[in-house]
Amino acid sequence: MSELGNLSIALAALVSAYGLVAALLGAGLRRADLQHSARNAVYAVFLLLSVASGILLYQALTRDFGNAYVASYSSRDLGFWYTVSVWWAGQAGSLLFWAWLLAGFGAVVVWRQAGYRELMPYIIATVMGVSVFFTLLLAVVSSPFARLAFAPPDGQGLNPLLQNPGMFFHPPTQYLGYVGFTIPFAFAIAAMATKRLDDEWIRATRRWTLASWFFLTLGVLFGMQWAYVELGWGGYWAWDPVENASLLPWLTGTAFLHSVMIQEKRDMLKVWNLVLIVLTFGLVIFGTFLTRSGVLSSVHSFALSSMGPLFFAFMAVILIVSFTLLALRLPWLKSAGDLDSLVSRESSFLFNNLILVGAAFSVFLGTIFPMISEAVRGVKISVGAPFFNQVNVPIGLALLLVMGLCPLLAWRKASLANLSRNFLFPGALGLLTAVGLIVAGLRQPVAVTAFALSAFVTATILLDFHRGAMVRRGHGEPYPLALGRLVLRNRRRYGGYIVHLGVILLFAGMAGSAFSSQQEAVLRPGQTVAINQYTLRYEGMSQYPTQSAMVTAATLTVFNGREPIAVMNPQRNIHRGHEEQPMTEVAIRSTMMEDLYVILAGIGDDGTANFKVIVNPLMMWMWIGGVLMSLGTVVAFWPERREALRARARYLVGAEA
Amino acid sequence: MSRALLGIGIVALAGLTVVLAPAHAHAADAAAVKVVVNQLATQYMCQCGCGLTLASCTHGVCGPRDRTLAEIRRMVEGGKTPAEITAALVAQYGEAVLAAPPRRGLNLLAWWGPYAALLAGAVTILLLGAAWTRRPGPQRAASPSALSPEQRQLLEEELKKFDA
Repeated sequence: MSELGNLSIALAALVSAYGLVAALLGAGLRRADLQHSARNAVYAVFLLLSVASGILLYQALTRDFGNAYVASYSSRDLGFWYTVSVWWAGQAGSLLFWAWLLAGFGAVVVWRQAGYRELMPYIIATVMGVSVFFTLLLAVVSSPFARLAFAPPDGQGLNPLLQNPGMFFHPPTQYLGYVGFTIPFAFAIAAMATKRLDDEWIRATRRWTLASWFFLTLGVLFGMQWAYVELGWGGYWAWDPVENASLLPWLTGTAFLHSVMIQEKRDMLKVWNLVLIVLTFGLVIFGTFLTRSGVLSSVHSFALSSMGPLFFAFMAVILIVSFTLLALRLPWLKSAGDLDSLVSRESSFLFNNLILVGAAFSVFLGTIFPMISEAVRGVKISVGAPFFNQVNVPIGLALLLVMGLCPLLAWRKASLANLSRNFLFPGALGLLTAVGLIVAGLRQPVAVTAFALSAFVTATILLDFHRGAMVRRGHGEPYPLALGRLVLRNRRRYGGYIVHLGVILLFAGMAGSAFSSQQEAVLRPGQTVAINQYTLRYEGMSQYPTQSAMVTAATLTVFNGREPIAVMNPQRNIHRGHEEQPMTEVAIRSTMMEDLYVILAGIGDDGTANFKVIVNPLMMWMWIGGVLMSLGTVVAFWPERREALRARARYLVGAEA
Repeated sequence: MSRALLGIGIVALAGLTVVLAPAHAHAADAAAVKVVVNQLATQYMCQCGCGLTLASCTHGVCGPRDRTLAEIRRMVEGGKTPAEITAALVAQYGEAVLAAPPRRGLNLLAWWGPYAALLAGAVTILLLGAAWTRRPGPQRAASPSALSPEQRQLLEEELKKFDA
């Protein structure tokens, strides 16, 4: 079986290389047969990588521990679904997953968007070029089918940190987002290669971009949730290099999502959009590089490897080819449109882009700064959460402000009357919120600003919904129907606003963490620890085996005043095969107001237990914000048939011309 | 009798207070030390290689974390200031123990680089924006879709309605 797996991967690498060459020759020589053959190569690569993936899954599920990868990441006591997740649990498997998704997306483009005939050979060449890199890595450097000299009776098992439902959500969505951005990048390369540099490539990839952004957003949020429930330190974001790596393409991808609107509406920012998509894809590869190279120490350090230089070289090739092509095409990239005024929605988009890219630069610089310091000064330094929080909080607040200003400004030119009419209510609400919070005793300036801006932005968005609905009501529609139809008829705009509402809730949740409180206590059974309005009484400890671990669980009764409101069971588990690494399983009681988060930090020999108890305000709002962001993206993503037909018609007219 | 009882009670209470006061003070000190240590734990990196601060090291059992926290606790109890504690930890573990690089020398690039870039970007946008708004409109005038004044007026009204 492993031989067949290796053969599939080797063939996939060869066919990818063939597809790349055939597509380029087909386009250069205008040979339809070669172009057709290149298209078939994409399907073939997908098929071959599906076979390889199928074999890996089969070997994992049948416990073939002669396969070194399967032996390293699974064991006999691992459940069915965690065994399936072995596909992306380790380096070789996750590279196979990456390559398989890429080939799958490539096949969908070739199948569904075959109408873009002139662009297609270059799209295929780009996708196949990326595929060559990943399949070669799989074939030469990190094979998921390497065999051990002797098959051990059992595998080493999956890292206990990965044995969490997050394993089914975070890595797949993260990879879907990462890989998805290859398609807009491929269209951008194709547009530059063919000099078809109007907004057709943007319209053709709008839904790819949205879907990739959607999955990347989900990936980041699932990662945060996983870290919160699994890592057991009470937080959700530690500014770990790999976390940062997932945030970087999200930031530039968000900037791209906004700036393409300016090109579509005003025929401006053509160069900038190309730069953004190249950067986004470059950062996707950088993220994979950081995760897989182990060049920076990280909580994801189970992915240590020596393939860093290869990724680095690939990144360099991508950036050099893309920016050379861009430089050559500059004469064709002159903007036709003009700005009517600096006080307009267009310029607010420019500032939104500036802040998002500035945030990406800040996170990127902080992430790689330890390497810069070591190279320049020869001194090892660390760049951790306190640095990122201090540098990025003002940038985040500026982003929130621009998010609120944007809907207030009219397209083209905002008049003074327009400004004063639109600013009055949201501005007053923001100000009132700030004053109210200060009067209520809140003294943290960052949190007060964040809440005030959140109120301001919420008001601007709701005002926009309300005004739109009122216009429709003027035509005789009842208000709820008017509101519904308003969203359905302008899915992109109002879907975007729903995403913004989600972002505000996310910010509010983050601001809430400024008010978190913490207590530590060493307790004997019957003793209590108090935090805010809660009293927790330690009742005792129990121990029991599960299929894969020995669980030690504490029982705590939680009182609000005198009333018992919950029983919580934080655990400390020792997984078989990982005895040196006891795992804390936190207990969390969530309400809309706050989370009560209990960690069993230690167990004494004298019958005592060491607890860390944290109250995290407004955490639930962060997750609700995430749900709203997803919902808004789905609304914006939902196809509008009229728009698709219009885009196709434009493309065909352009092709005729 | 009752006065005598009251007197005994007061004396007993006073005695109890004297006896318990150091214990209360000690408990209050311990709580204060804990708060300071917890705060400082967010400022220094754990030396176990997890890449996180002492406060957020993810390992259930972590010798380097517990050792460093114990050192910090000793220093806090010994009356050392945060600056002295930082100096002692840097002397022992190197600059990498600091979760945020000190604001000097090359590190200023990390601290101020993003803001400098943002400022440069903002100036560029303003300059470019001003140039774009001043740009004479031959393209617009020559555009086949140029609107007549009446059409423009109509469009303006529609746009106003739309923006509303």
